[in-house]
Parts: sequence; structure tokens; C-alpha cells
Amino acid sequence: MIWTAPFLLLALPLLPLLWWLLRVTPPAPRTQRFPAIRLLENLRAPETTAARTPPWLLALRMVAAGLVILGLAGPVFDAASRLPGQGPLLLAMDDGWAAAPDWAARIAAAGAVLDQAGRDNRPVRLLLTAPTEANQAPGVTPALPAAALRTRLAALRPKPWLPDRAAGALALRDVRADSVLYVADGLAAPGDDAFGAALAAVGPVRELRPNPVSARIARPPRAEADRLVAHADLLPQPTPTPLAVLAQTGDGRTLARVEVMVPAGATSAEAAIPLPPELRNTLTRLVLEGPSSAASVVLLDERWRRRPVGLVSADAGADTPLIGPLFYVRRALAPTSELREGSIDQLLAREVSVLVLADVPLDGDEARKLGAWVDKGGLLLRFAGPRMADVAGGGASDGATGTPAPPDPLLPVRLLVGDRQLGGALSWSQPAPLARLEAGSPFAGLAVPGEVLVNRQVLAEPSTQLASRTWASLADGTPLVTAAAHGAGRVVLFHVTANADWSNLPLSGLFVDMLRRLVDLSVGVAGAAPDAVLAPAETLDGFGVLSPPPPAATGLSAADLTTPAVSPRHPPGLYGPESGRRALNMGAALPGLVVAAPVPGAELATLGHQPRERAIGPSLIAAALALLALDLLIALALRGLLRRAAVAAVVLGLVAPGAHAAEAPALQTRLAFVVTDDAAVDGVSRAGLAGLTAYVNRRTAAVLGDPAPVVPGRDDLSFFPLLYWPITAAATRDPAAVAALNDYTSHGGIILIDTRNSGSGEGFAPGTDAALRKVTQGLQVPALAPLTGEHVLARSFYLLQEFPGRFDGGTIYVGRDQDRSNDSVTPVIIGGNDWAAGWAVDAGGRNPYATIPGGARQRTLAYRFGVNLVMYALTGNYKGDQVHVPAILERLGQ
Amino acid sequence: MTPTGVAARRAEALGARLPPLLVAAQRVAATVAQGVHGRRRVGQGDSFWQYRPFVAGDASSRIDWRASAKADRTFIRETEWEAAQTVVLWRDASPSMEWRSGAAVPFKRERADLLLLAIAALLLRGGERVRLLGGPMRLPGGRGALEGIAQALSELQDTGGLPAEHRLPRHARVVLIGDFLSPLPQVRAVVGALAAIPVQGYLLQVLDPAEALLPYTGRVRFQGTEAESDHLVPRVEGVREAYAAALTTQVQGLAALATAAGWGFGTHRTDHAPEAALLAVYAGLAGHTGVERGVGRGRA
Repeated sequence: MIWTAPFLLLALPLLPLLWWLLRVTPPAPRTQRFPAIRLLENLRAPETTAARTPPWLLALRMVAAGLVILGLAGPVFDAASRLPGQGPLLLAMDDGWAAAPDWAARIAAAGAVLDQAGRDNRPVRLLLTAPTEANQAPGVTPALPAAALRTRLAALRPKPWLPDRAAGALALRDVRADSVLYVADGLAAPGDDAFGAALAAVGPVRELRPNPVSARIARPPRAEADRLVAHADLLPQPTPTPLAVLAQTGDGRTLARVEVMVPAGATSAEAAIPLPPELRNTLTRLVLEGPSSAASVVLLDERWRRRPVGLVSADAGADTPLIGPLFYVRRALAPTSELREGSIDQLLAREVSVLVLADVPLDGDEARKLGAWVDKGGLLLRFAGPRMADVAGGGASDGATGTPAPPDPLLPVRLLVGDRQLGGALSWSQPAPLARLEAGSPFAGLAVPGEVLVNRQVLAEPSTQLASRTWASLADGTPLVTAAAHGAGRVVLFHVTANADWSNLPLSGLFVDMLRRLVDLSVGVAGAAPDAVLAPAETLDGFGVLSPPPPAATGLSAADLTTPAVSPRHPPGLYGPESGRRALNMGAALPGLVVAAPVPGAELATLGHQPRERAIGPSLIAAALALLALDLLIALALRGLLRRAAVAAVVLGLVAPGAHAAEAPALQTRLAFVVTDDAAVDGVSRAGLAGLTAYVNRRTAAVLGDPAPVVPGRDDLSFFPLLYWPITAAATRDPAAVAALNDYTSHGGIILIDTRNSGSGEGFAPGTDAALRKVTQGLQVPALAPLTGEHVLARSFYLLQEFPGRFDGGTIYVGRDQDRSNDSVTPVIIGGNDWAAGWAVDAGGRNPYATIPGGARQRTLAYRFGVNLVMYALTGNYKGDQVHVPAILERLGQ
Repeated sequence: MTPTGVAARRAEALGARLPPLLVAAQRVAATVAQGVHGRRRVGQGDSFWQYRPFVAGDASSRIDWRASAKADRTFIRETEWEAAQTVVLWRDASPSMEWRSGAAVPFKRERADLLLLAIAALLLRGGERVRLLGGPMRLPGGRGALEGIAQALSELQDTGGLPAEHRLPRHARVVLIGDFLSPLPQVRAVVGALAAIPVQGYLLQVLDPAEALLPYTGRVRFQGTEAESDHLVPRVEGVREAYAAALTTQVQGLAALATAAGWGFGTHRTDHAPEAALLAVYAGLAGHTGVERGVGRGRA
């Protein structure tokens, strides 16, 4: 730990003096008017210590004062070891692509040096080894105060190109400094030796480098038939390291993540990304998971997607439906590929990836052109046919002269003359099924349908290479598809025709899969002319994020893309027009990864291993301020000025949420039902009361809230005007609940007890009558009488003569009218019409329980009874008042 | 309605729960005019009291001939002595009364006014004559009497915490309401001067609860409400008991000097109900000798 202002610590001995001063200075008195002051005079207090500050408060203030002193003295924990010397300091930083993965650690290290220089008042010069975005060669800044460089440091970003250390060495020629800190990326680059020597000449060097160097390079992937093989370079690692490749689309979605284990010591790895062609064609980039840099991203352009297929039609009938030689090929490839048609010369004039020759004989000139094209990487796909069978193996057509013609060079295998017929009227053999697709072939993994049968084929001449060139063979072992490399390209031969003449293979789905895999196997082509200048559209920044191109970026010709060189003029990214973007990838341009030798004579340190400096001064002062604020509150409280109301308000504010929750039922009038031991019954009760609530809210002026489930004896019942209590057969008596219900009814509550098995519903809920007798033991039930049309319940809103629920016809009992104890309002209503089921509505607003005996009228009456009940509960005997009798009689008489 | 009118109404409402107050008087104040209700003894008045036989020395003009004609003897008609007592009320108008310890309790002066007016209302209902010590000598009678007293009360001048005027009719009654925090010798001098007239009376001390309990804590600088100098108490908790003792001494001293003068004494705290204090004063005035109550005569 160091102190930035150690002389302030001299104030610490003053603390005892402060202690003494605080002790002898009493707190300010509170002023109070008081009429009886005469009585206070001449009173001697037995103790006077309260005139002094309480010791604990004194200690609090001393701690606060001590914290202020310590905080101002500026303690810094984990301060970096000092760089030698007192004079100017040179900070050299690599900011090329390889600096990106641990950029934050580099900036932190540089920031720590600036902190140190700022404390020691040393000027700093800064050297960045990569050319700037404006393509200026690396230069050394003049000596600046650390504060000025800090803003510059914050704005630094790694560059997506190589550092130019040779230019850096030139810039260092006349620079002298007392010490040098070199934050290196650890990778060898041209000019390292000169740069190291130049640095060593400036002054004593401390070199910070990452260990291990985590820079990795994603090389352009290789397209294979059913996969994209990503390729990555990395430095040898001491242990097996996982490496993950993300395949991403233009909108940033990751379609695949492939992880491979790189063995210890390996310098490159490959990861196959198996994706269907449709998805593969949407990929725009491959990213190495982990710390990102410009080299860990490979942008995919049209070359990985666009594979034009040329169809060479020998005669006019090539496209004749069902029998034309190219009919099935066209239909197999049209959905996924760009198809072109024409003569060989026409097709070769433009770039194509695949050429399909369906039994087209080649003359010498064409064969030569095609051979050159295949050598450059084209994929030639040929189909056999009667014409090929005639000329195969050569000589057949020239049989008259007896000199065999030279064998067709653009066939993977030599063919025997003639074709072989399997099955037929005069043959013992049967059409041969497809046996297998070779494991090493592009067709590996495709399912072989049993119905594919081959009737005729051309036969390969047996040779030692035949097995290795066979991609698919028939059950008898004769090859069906053979292929051979030819220069950079490939020649593939189907030993059958491309139409259904010789086999039914073109009719099967397998044919489509095979053709697509072959097309995916081919090399993509780019559309632009080789000499067109492509303007930069989007470029990668140092972290591998696409962004607008920097000012120095200029266009480059398509030819340059084949031998890419990344520089500030040509940063990696996408070039060219919207329709034909070409990618310039960092990974294609970089040399292999080599660890750089350290600067001679330098003191080496590992980047990111320096503990972070922690200046705790501000925290100490903040703590002191908090203590002083606390002291203020305490002082106010001691003087009695802290208003008790404020404290009470705070306490209430803390307590209020709980209180609020407890009072929620009181905020709105709502119906309640007694929770039973049967969840289904509770569900019916809730749905029924919800339905009744909705009906009441719609039809009357009463506004009810959502029904509430209650447990008598546990919940406060006093908020609810009406309690619905369905009786279940298994209900048991709970003395606490009975006591709570007694209390409820004695204070004006009304309980609707429903046995759910009377009238038309007899037998629906057996045993509830007995349960009712059991659970209501001890319940204070007044003398009961059957509910008639004369009762207030029958007139409290609607005029009713019957009171159905889901069932109808059961007798309902209410307290006798003569009972004046509760204003003639009956505390209990006992019946068995299963009212809740009658009122219930489900989430869709339907009534889930059919009324028995049924009918919309019964449902309506059930709701009307419910409304009357709610009104009765809310208004008591109001409607029983004599005032209304004449009007009611008049209406009854109509 | 004027503020004094409001105070008068409130006081009337407070006094309405007690029967009209008839001040017990063995001897009538010398200057008292004829009253309106009887003293249940023979004397000057309009109401018939009794017939008594004519004795030698009675003026023949006093013979009631109508009564005498019914019997053999000659009767003299005697009337009931009807006279009113004069009660003089006083309330401390010093600034120390304009104080309260918190919003929950009324100002001491408000409470004193209320009590004084309630007493006045009771007395007026009883037919007594009421005036203010230090106020105008004559006040309107009849229905406006109470409002007149309330009006005079609001114009009462500060006389240093104790009544300054001692010109009272002999045998009048006096009720002094104040906080009586003045030194005891001063109070004794005033009470002595009044008692020497002679006048009987009642001292009612009105105190704020804070004055009674000294509820403050910590270091407090007390400021007087009158001309006293400030007094700094370093730790109020420490002097609370001593203060309570000093207050007790003051109250007991007041009680002692009141008893010595034959006066009544009571203490009232503003956080207590005024009815209690009113009842105490009522008992002190009416029950001094335990004699007459004006009820039952149908005159109230």
C-alpha cells in the first residue's frame, strides 16, 4: 500500500486534541420557552455529564475525522511496482489484430502506468505499433502529462491489421526515456529485431505480454458435399484445448456451434459444420468462440454459396418431359441451384461450378477445354448412355480401322465396351438394386431405398484404382458412381442415364440428394469480373464487428482478393456492390502464428497478472461522510429536534405494505365462500360466486369485488356480507370455525349453507345431510321456517316464488320472521339446491354445469335468487319495510 | 358571533350541567343591592315568608289585617330576605398564561377564560352579581351579562401575575384564576390584603402539563415568558425531581396561605377536563358553609 499524500498523515496526532475539544464543548442546547422558569432557577442538578458529548458519539466523530484524514492521505492498495527513473516514460503498445483478445487487460496495464506516472509527475510518450486508420505510420507522441494521455488511451481500439514494427523502430530513432513499458501482443512480425533493438536503445524496458498468447486465426473454410469445414490456427497449447466455431447468419443468429478438442501442441484444427444446403446458404460468417478479434471471424461471401450448374444439352430433345436426358437433373437441381444451359463453349465463357454432361460425346477440342476447366477446380458430372457405351473404351466407333481411339480423358475410370443389361426377356439376371454408398464418398449417410433398380449400365474396366474411385456400387459390386480427381477439380460419372431408361434411380429421392451433394462439393464462384474495382462496403473493426469502413479504406480489384493483403487501405470486410459482395478475410492473409522473441534485455511480466490498483481514499471519505450524516441525525435526536412524526412516518412506511395486505378484503365489498376439504367443490364455489358477482355487477347498483376463499377461525370474516358454505360429506366439525361463525352471525353476517343434494338433485352429494348435522353442532341457528314467497328474500330485488340453483324443488329454511333478535334478518339460509354450480361460469363465460331439470328459465331464476340474496345481505330487512308493501301488493296483483 | 361571544357560549354550555350557583353567604356584602332570590330567612324581599304574632314594638303599619281578621290574634306578615351576593372574578392576564407546551393542550389563558366564564354563567343563573376585578365596576345585567363579562375579560390588563386592585365590597366573594408562579410572599400579600377587607375567595391555579411534569430531556436553554433571564439546564432529566419538589413547595405554599385566609384552593392542569376544576370551584363557593341551594324554589 502506498500513500499519495503521506504528509497528511501528520494530522493523525491531532486527533487526541480533537477528542479533548469535542469533550469539553457541550452540544448546543435546545431552546425552550417555559413560564415556570422561576422554579428552575436555583436548582442544582445532581449530575452534569450530559453537558458533555456521550463517549460513543465522541468515538463516532473521532472515527469520522480519522477516516477523513486517512482518505485525504490517499492510500492505494496493490500499487504496481515502480518503473525505474524519474524522467519521461515511454509507453509502447501493440495495437494490431492480435492485441484484441486481451485488449481490456492491455488498457488496464497502460492505465496503471499512467496512474503511476501521474502520481510521480512523469511525462509520458506513447507509441502505437500499428498504422492508424488514416494509414499513417506509427509515431511517438510528444511527452504529455498522464492526464492528457488518459483520454487518448480510453479512445484507443485495436486495429484489424498487422502492426508495423519496422516503422515503429524508425519512429524510435531519436526518442530517449528513463524507462520503457512495452505492452506486446507476443506474436512475431516482420521488423521485430529492429524494433526490439530500438526499444532497448531508448531505455530500460519492461515488457508485458500475454501468457499464453490467445490470438487465433480463423482461416477460410472448405466446402464439402454436406458440410463446411472450418479451419483455425492457434499457438501450441500445453493441454488439450476446446475450440468452438459458431456459424452465424446475417441477422446474428447462430445456426450451429461445433466444438472440437485441439490436442496439446497442435497448431491448427478443423471443425466440420454439418448443415443442410438451404441453411448453409444463409450463413454469412464463421466465428471462433472466445475472445474476439478481426482474425477470429471469417466472412462468407458468394463463393461459399453460389454454385452455378451448367447443363450441356446435346440435342434439342434434352428437356422433353419424362424422357429427355436432362429432365430429371433440371428438376432435382432447380430449387437449390442456379442452372444455365447451352453448349460447352457458351457455358465455359462464364464461370460455372458444375457442368452436367448427359451422354454427350466430346470431340477433341471440347475435351481439351473441359479438361483445362476441370483442372482449375470445376466439377464435371457425366451420365452414361447409349452413345457413351458405344465409344467407351475407345475404338468401338473406329472399329473399322482397327486402331483404338484414345480413351476419353474425362472419365474417372476406363469403361468396357458396350453396356450391360440386367434382367429382360432373354436374360437370367435380375435388375440389380443399389448396394451401398461408400463411407468416404460425398453420399455417405444417405438412405438407400430398396426400390431403386438398375436395368442397364456401363461397366468399368477392372483396375486397382477402381475400388477407391467408386462412390456407389450395385449389389453385385459393379460401380454405379465413380469419381476421380482431375487437377484441382473432379470428374464424376454416373454409370446410368440421367433419365429413367436404364434405371429408376432418377425417379427416386436419392437422386436429388446425390446431385445436391455433388453440387455442394464443387467450388463456388464469384460473379464479378476479375478487373473490376470493388469498393469497401463494410469492414471489420479490431474486435471483428462489421462497421462502416475507415477513412483510409479504398477499393481493390477482384484479382487482389485472390492474393489478399490486409492493410489500413484494405481492411478486412466486405467489398463490392450489394448484389455481389466479396469478402476479404484477415485469416486468408495472415502468416502462421509464431511467438515473438522478447525484447533483448527486457524485464518480462505477464499481462493481466498485475493486481488492479485500488485507491481507497474516496471510499474512506464517503464512509466518513456517512458517519457524519449519522452523527447529525444523532445530534438532532439528542437535542430533541428530530421530529418523532418523521420517524413514525418512516416506520409506518416500512410497516404499511404488510398492513395493506391485511386490509385488502376491507377495501371492497365481496362475497366469500368457506374453503372445504374438497378442491373441486372449492372450484365450483369460486366459479359460482364469480358468476353471481358478475351478474350482480351487471344488473344492480351493487359493485362487488372478486369472491374470496375464507377459512372460519383463521380469516377475519367481518369484511364479508355473505358467506357461502357448501357442505361436503367428509366435512368435520371445527370448534374454532363454529365459534368464528357464531361471532359472524351475531354481528349481522349471513351464511348460505348448501348441502347440494335436495329437490331434483337428490342423491348427487350423498351424506351431506349427516355432515350438515355434524358440522353445525354448536352453531347458533335460530328457529327455522321454510322460505316462502312472503319472505323478504323473495322480494328484495326480484319478485320470486321459487329459489332454484342447479337443482330445484328442495325446501329452503330460513330464520322465522317472528325472530326479532336481528331485525328479522335471518343469519342462516339452509338449502340444497347447489346454487354455486347454478351460478358458475367458466373462463369462456359459459355455464359449465347443466341445470336440473333444466332450462334457461331455471338458470335465470337461480341468478335472480342470487341477486336477491346479495341484496338481502347488503340491505337487511330494508325491503321488508311496510312502506313498500302497497307497491309490492299492487305489482303482485297485476 | 364575536370571539368573546363564542367563549361565552362555550362557558355556558360547560356550566349548563351544574345547577345554578348560589354563593353561600352568612353576611351580605355591605353594598349589595337587593337580590332576586330568597335566603330562606326573614328579611327584605317581596316573597311571603311567614306570619308571626304581633309583638310590642312592631310598627302597626306592618300588621296584616286580612290575616288578622281570620283569627283572634294580630299577625304581622314577614317576607323572605332576598339578596344577591357579589362575586368578583379575576384572571391572570400576564404573558405566562399565553403559553402551552404543545398543540394537544389549550393555552392556559384559554382554559382560565373558559373556567371563569363558566363560573360567571353559573353565578348569573343563580342570580348573583358578578363583576371582574380590575374591570369595570358595573356590568350590564340580564341576558347580556355573560357577554359583557367576556368582553371585559378580553380587555383585562396585565398586572404582573397578581390582582392589583383591592377595592372590594366587604364580604364579597372573589375567585382568582392564574398560574400563581409568583413568589409566595407576593401571593400572600395579595391574599392577605383581600382577606382583610374582609373578603372570602377561591384560588384556582391553572398549569400546563409541561409545567407540572417538566418532560424535556437533554441540554435545554429555558427562556422565560416574561422578563426573566434565560436559564441553561445541562441535563433536564437530572433536575426533574428537584423541579417537581419546587413545584410541590409552591403549590403547598399556595394551599397553606389560602387555608390560612379561609379561602379555597385548587389546581387544574390544562390537559384535564375543565369540568373537574369547575366542580371544585363550584363546591368551594357553594358549599363553603353547606347552606342553601337555590333549587326547589322554582325560581331558577
